[in-house]
Amino acid sequence: MTDIVLDTPSKPAKPSPLTRLIGRVPPIRKWKWGFVLSVAYLVVLTFFAVFANVLPFIRRYNELPKGAAARKLASYRGKPSGSYWFGNDKLGRDTFARSVYAAQKTLTIGLASIVAALVIGGLLGMLAGYYRGWYDRVLSVIFDVLLAFPAIVLALIVVGRFFQSGRLNLGLFQMDKRFFGVIVVLTLLSVAPLARIVRAQTLALSQREYVLAARGLGASSWRILIREILPNLLPAMFSVAFTGLAVLLVAEGGLAFLGFSVQLPFPTWGFMINEARPDIVKGGGWAVFFPCILLFLTVLAFNVIGDRVARRFDIREATL
Amino acid sequence: MRYFAQRFLQLIVVFLIVTFVTMVAIQAASKDPARDLAGPLNSTEARVEEIRKHYHLDRAYPIRYAYWLKNLVTLDLGNSPTLGASVRTLVGQRAPITLLLGLYSIGLALILSLPIAVYAAYRRDGPFDRFVSGATFAAVSLPNIILAVLLGYFFATKWRIFPYAASKIWPWDDFGEHVRNVALPTITLAVGLIAIFVRLLRADLVNTLQSDFIVMARAKGLSPARILWRHALRSSLFSLMTSVALQFGGILGGAVVAEQIFALPGMGLLLFQAVQQKDLLVVQACAALFALAVVIINFIVDMLYAVVDPRIRHARALG
Repeated sequence: MTDIVLDTPSKPAKPSPLTRLIGRVPPIRKWKWGFVLSVAYLVVLTFFAVFANVLPFIRRYNELPKGAAARKLASYRGKPSGSYWFGNDKLGRDTFARSVYAAQKTLTIGLASIVAALVIGGLLGMLAGYYRGWYDRVLSVIFDVLLAFPAIVLALIVVGRFFQSGRLNLGLFQMDKRFFGVIVVLTLLSVAPLARIVRAQTLALSQREYVLAARGLGASSWRILIREILPNLLPAMFSVAFTGLAVLLVAEGGLAFLGFSVQLPFPTWGFMINEARPDIVKGGGWAVFFPCILLFLTVLAFNVIGDRVARRFDIREATL
Repeated sequence: MRYFAQRFLQLIVVFLIVTFVTMVAIQAASKDPARDLAGPLNSTEARVEEIRKHYHLDRAYPIRYAYWLKNLVTLDLGNSPTLGASVRTLVGQRAPITLLLGLYSIGLALILSLPIAVYAAYRRDGPFDRFVSGATFAAVSLPNIILAVLLGYFFATKWRIFPYAASKIWPWDDFGEHVRNVALPTITLAVGLIAIFVRLLRADLVNTLQSDFIVMARAKGLSPARILWRHALRSSLFSLMTSVALQFGGILGGAVVAEQIFALPGMGLLLFQAVQQKDLLVVQACAALFALAVVIINFIVDMLYAVVDPRIRHARALG
């Protein structure tokens, strides 16, 4: 007697959450090279930014050359070379090290602001879109107020009033006050547009059959919001996060340019551009060019990624 | 009508909140607002006290705000100690420049983006369309500070086509000089706008060109040009108009950067200088004007929507 092996009908393997999010990796000939290059660029940049404090050739971002080296490098005499890839700035500091260090600061500020804005804006937008009524009306006035503030006045109020200088003690970790202030400004600037997108999506989603079904089954509002609506909002929020991050990097550049962002010794790209701009004819061209190109490439990369994610999930609000 | 009244009420509430918050925050940020308003030069104790009385700075914020509102209505917003002129004069001198700058950049963007978008949509996925798609994507990602610095370097410093430090010349005084002075700031603001408008309009037109009434028009034997410019474009113009209005806040923000780089004495530069020199009343007035512009534009957009789409007007009735 032979064992009869019953073939259990093979279930299709459940895709992992990662696969569900980014889809199957297509064969190379179908790759979107703009997207691949953007991801690669951001990975490299993030690597340098994360290890900026450890890597010896980036740690020297604030080092002034001494003696003979100073005469050779300062006043924009240092051109791009093997030891100074991006040349040197007015004081002879390494522009490459400063640019990468600026990447660390700028990316941290951008990421922190967009995450905070997504959490706050997402929550407010969901509540406004789900409950509607007076709640929606109050929130829409608040969003309108935030949108009507000129960014520079907001920066003056927040950075100038509350986070001028010094250290901020948040218990577990400490932070430069001004750094925190810039994050607050950028968060305030982006909460309203994000909340509006989420609100519009929630309005549409809460009319769908499965939400009505869940309500019919007696699910609480919170359960509906978190289990039914939030998962369907995530793709939109995910792609808005990238394009929003790009917008925030531009905004940070503008604030830094006007002198309202993080202050020395921390450089950011906007600050570096503004710093070397008056000396552009006196050889400061490289010191302007490299921060510009890094800022542009980073914004472009985030936009490309955001665009692909939006196309993949077919989200119209987030496309450029 | 009910919808109209509701939106109008909201406009006023938003404006009041913005100006009140601005006033409280700016004055609370200063150690002594009266001393700042007395100016750096003639700040004797008596003078400071006089200023304090004159601007009611010894009163509580709501009362101060009420006086400020009264002054706003009568257009008597006090004097700027650092610039040595009344706030009304300053704003009156500067606001038209920023307004012109905004109009020029929107106008330039519309003139250029309409034909580009129409042709790209007409020859969809052709070489021109692909080039435009790539170029506009890059332009959207180009921060205006970079654009301004590049334009300034090439056109003003290197080739000396345009002056670097713009000065205020009215178009009716010397039109050529006026154009030369505002050209670079205008281009700075316009490039991003062109990219946004082209992308929006092209996507909209591509959709429209597939709809039935276009097939109908083609079947009737109308020329492609007539179909594109008359039939297709008309239905896409509304979303373009909305986008124009919504970009307005961004233009005001960009004007601060552009005016600062090219030293164009408009509202943006005034606000920037006032912020730096703690010129409280000027900051308040500028913020109020910016907020008013944004709020009114939003209101107009809402009204346009309501006129075109009756469902918005009667949202309450439908529940």
